[in-house]
Amino acid sequence: MKRTFDAIVVGAGPAGSSAALTMARAGLSVALVERGSFPGEKNMFGGVLHRMTALEDVFPDFWNQAPLERHIVKKGLTFITEESSFNVNFDTEHNDTPPYNGYTVSRPKFDRWLAEEAVKAGATLLTHSTVDDVIKKEGRVVGVSLLRDGAELLAPIVIAADGVLSFTAAKAGLKRPQFDPSEVAVGIKALVEMPHDVINDRFGLVCEQGASNEIVGCTSGVRGGSFIYTNYDSLSLGMVLHLSSLNSSGKTPYDLLNEFMKQPQIAKLLRGGRLLEYSAHLVPEGGYNMIPQLFDDGIMVAGDAAGFCIVTGINLEGINQATQSGVFAGKAAIQAHEQRDFSKASLAVYKKMLENSFVLKDLKLYRKTPKMLHNDRIYSQYSDLVCSMMEDVYRIDGAPKETMTKLVLRNVKEKVGLKNMLADVYGGWRAL
Amino acid sequence: MNINLDEIFDYTSFNVDREPHIKLNEEICKTCDQRACTNCCPARCYTWDEESQKMTFVHDGCLECGTCYVVCGNNAFTRWRYPRGGFGVSYRMT
Ligand SMILES: Cc1cc2nc3c(=O)[nH]c(=O)nc-3n(C[C@H](O)[C@H](O)[C@H](O)COP(=O)(O)OP(=O)(O)OC[C@H]3O[C@@H](n4cnc5c(N)ncnc54)[C@H](O)[C@@H]3O)c2cc1C
Ligand code: SF4
Ligand code: SF4
Repeated sequence: MKRTFDAIVVGAGPAGSSAALTMARAGLSVALVERGSFPGEKNMFGGVLHRMTALEDVFPDFWNQAPLERHIVKKGLTFITEESSFNVNFDTEHNDTPPYNGYTVSRPKFDRWLAEEAVKAGATLLTHSTVDDVIKKEGRVVGVSLLRDGAELLAPIVIAADGVLSFTAAKAGLKRPQFDPSEVAVGIKALVEMPHDVINDRFGLVCEQGASNEIVGCTSGVRGGSFIYTNYDSLSLGMVLHLSSLNSSGKTPYDLLNEFMKQPQIAKLLRGGRLLEYSAHLVPEGGYNMIPQLFDDGIMVAGDAAGFCIVTGINLEGINQATQSGVFAGKAAIQAHEQRDFSKASLAVYKKMLENSFVLKDLKLYRKTPKMLHNDRIYSQYSDLVCSMMEDVYRIDGAPKETMTKLVLRNVKEKVGLKNMLADVYGGWRAL
Repeated sequence: MNINLDEIFDYTSFNVDREPHIKLNEEICKTCDQRACTNCCPARCYTWDEESQKMTFVHDGCLECGTCYVVCGNNAFTRWRYPRGGFGVSYRMT
């Protein structure tokens, strides 16, 4: 089988569907190719969908149309040890009115919805279709072949939106840094069923308000962190673990997650819940320095495939970059069709658009963060420090009191070392 | 609550393809000094038996995360691709 289109998009994740939607609305014939039996079947994330201005341009009342779980009004950061936890919460009414600042979503529902919007706009969605290779002619990408009776799809433009490993970009010969286990993390997640009202009571929420909580510590010293997010009637609970650190620890991701779920303060939140689904996915954490070649003759790379993820420890952003880069790749393809020029020179406009937007600006701004997050003290000693300090602050047991300065200094010296602390504060300041 | 991988098929759905999407040259694993795949794979698809010095890989419960592809420093794969369309892990709610 051979079919010809104006453009082919590999992968119906947020990047791919945004690209397909953009092109289809401009009247191009688009194939949106997805290996799952429906879009979203293969996709997991934490996850909080941060505000996506790229989609709000297309859907002005996005929050009324997309299948969302809850909007986030409460953001927490928790330092945790085996027995204690110290929690900082930011709760604001500003986040309780549209346009909301973020939402929890279920990927099998959200990704499917976005792909269906692309179909409504005229794109052809091909599910059950794993792209096997790219087809090249005189050095240019002119299509893809499917891992299914050798079917071929042809188009002057291919957009690789096939996620973090992007075999499509690799097969097209685009230059990219070798995957380095110290620049990649694995995320695992347990989806836990819990009645809507119970979630509201436990997390201090009403109606469809949601909470997100990032947790430092409790990874047995493995670089990474945990998260708990509230969905409509379930909790997403998981961990993101750096592969090099996980490897040298000899620990397994599921044992770490099990230990985390047994931590007394976490166990209280989960009480009575039932495990619904277990999932895993990689996160490209290398940031700006790991961005691959973004375009070549007849091809562009968008979303995770281009490494567009920002991990600061407080937020994990990827979907907003994916949708925005998908929209830009779509716009670049539209321009290329107008000019009948699909060369590398013509597609360079894609990178220009990225450079002028938050996608590359933010990645550049946070380019030092991945290295800062390689500091093992964050994952082992700082939670200990914070929790033992708070214990001292709150303890009233008849012992004479210390001044606050003394208390802090003593704890810092015991747990981290003064020199290390100063170096880390400086490093952290420069990286964020 | 506890994640018990012996019961993974009870809570995560799969449409297992008889044709494996990952194939391993087990000879390379014999001399591997890390075996990162055995502890990093979140679905415990790799098991090394010290006694018989044998690596066993089972693709049935693979979550298609890509961890093994990234952590294996010896390029032990004779095939690493995603399953054929429609096969493999099938998330419903995540
Ligand atoms: C644990 C975890 C937590 C996260 N938390 C957040 C968060 O809170 N907020 C946030 O914004 N981001 C978060 N992210 C990041 C976010 O999930 C990604 O950045 C985002 O999904 C990238 O979208 P994408 O469209 O580029 O790629 P993907 O979502 O990976 O989509 C790629 C698509 O391509 C398909 N595909 C792949 N190969 C082929 C092929 N050969 N043929 C056909 N189809 C193919 C896949 O099936 C998939 O549908 C998180 C990620 C993880 C792993
Ligand atoms: S890391 Fe690679 S070579 Fe080593 S045991 Fe695992 S698959 Fe085999
Ligand atoms: S892709 Fe992930 S789940 Fe599958 S075998 Fe590799 S590490 Fe395990």
